[in-house]
Amino acid sequence: MSRLSSKSWLNDLMNIHFRIAWFRVVAFAFMWVMLTEGSVNSWLVGAPIVLVATLISMVLVSPFSCSVIHSVRFVPFFIWNSLRGGANVAWCALNPKIPIAPGLIDFPLRLPPGISRVFMANTVSLLPGTLSVNLGKNHLKVHVLDTRKNVLSELMTLEKIVAKMFNISLHDGKGDECNENIL
Amino acid sequence: MTLINVLSSILLFTGGAFFLAGTLGLLRFPDVYTRLHALTKADNVGLGMVVAGLAVQAQSWVIVGKLLLIWAFVMLASATTSHLIARRALQRGIKPWKR
Repeated sequence: MSRLSSKSWLNDLMNIHFRIAWFRVVAFAFMWVMLTEGSVNSWLVGAPIVLVATLISMVLVSPFSCSVIHSVRFVPFFIWNSLRGGANVAWCALNPKIPIAPGLIDFPLRLPPGISRVFMANTVSLLPGTLSVNLGKNHLKVHVLDTRKNVLSELMTLEKIVAKMFNISLHDGKGDECNENIL
Repeated sequence: MTLINVLSSILLFTGGAFFLAGTLGLLRFPDVYTRLHALTKADNVGLGMVVAGLAVQAQSWVIVGKLLLIWAFVMLASATTSHLIARRALQRGIKPWKR
């Protein structure tokens, strides 16, 4: 009985991996269709590339869960903040006085290691006034263009949104303690 | 049709202005970190505007998808590259400029 249950557990694991691999094949194939504008001949090159891309992605990026609703909600948030960030930096560049007061801050991460942290680090660089410099063990070092503004609360908001996207629940309390529990 | 052309031109010109501002920031800002700010953010918005300006003129949905995909890939590449440059600069001990 116990042998049977352990085997079905293994089957489940294999099934999950196959499902994710299939999902990624479809996603990469979709990208190929977009990039080649639906050309049929291009599949001679496209099919092997989609397969290789899927294999590489399965090795490099371990399976993660992602909420569709929160991913869709992320898009307007991202576009609006990108616009703000672009306008802000353009204004600083055009202003004769260059009104910036840059500095480095350490942001204690509550997200677990993995894809969600990488996603957060990349997004930080595109949002207003922040640039991710170093992704440490449980801190994200962020370069801030204007330290007079309250960047920390904006980073906290972003972290919450990213956590929802990847179906992660952030524990409340001190960031440091929390991260040590996760690691 | 002309309305679409007008909208497209406005978006393309605004995009160009953002690229110009980003380049100006690259030249005027004091250190490597602030210059990366100017490049990543202004160019992201600039390219987004250019993509939007071309997308409203596109003949089919596949081309809109292709343009959006290009935008997404360029954003991913620029965010990753700027992170790597900033990290290397910090590792080499380049201190951020302070007012």
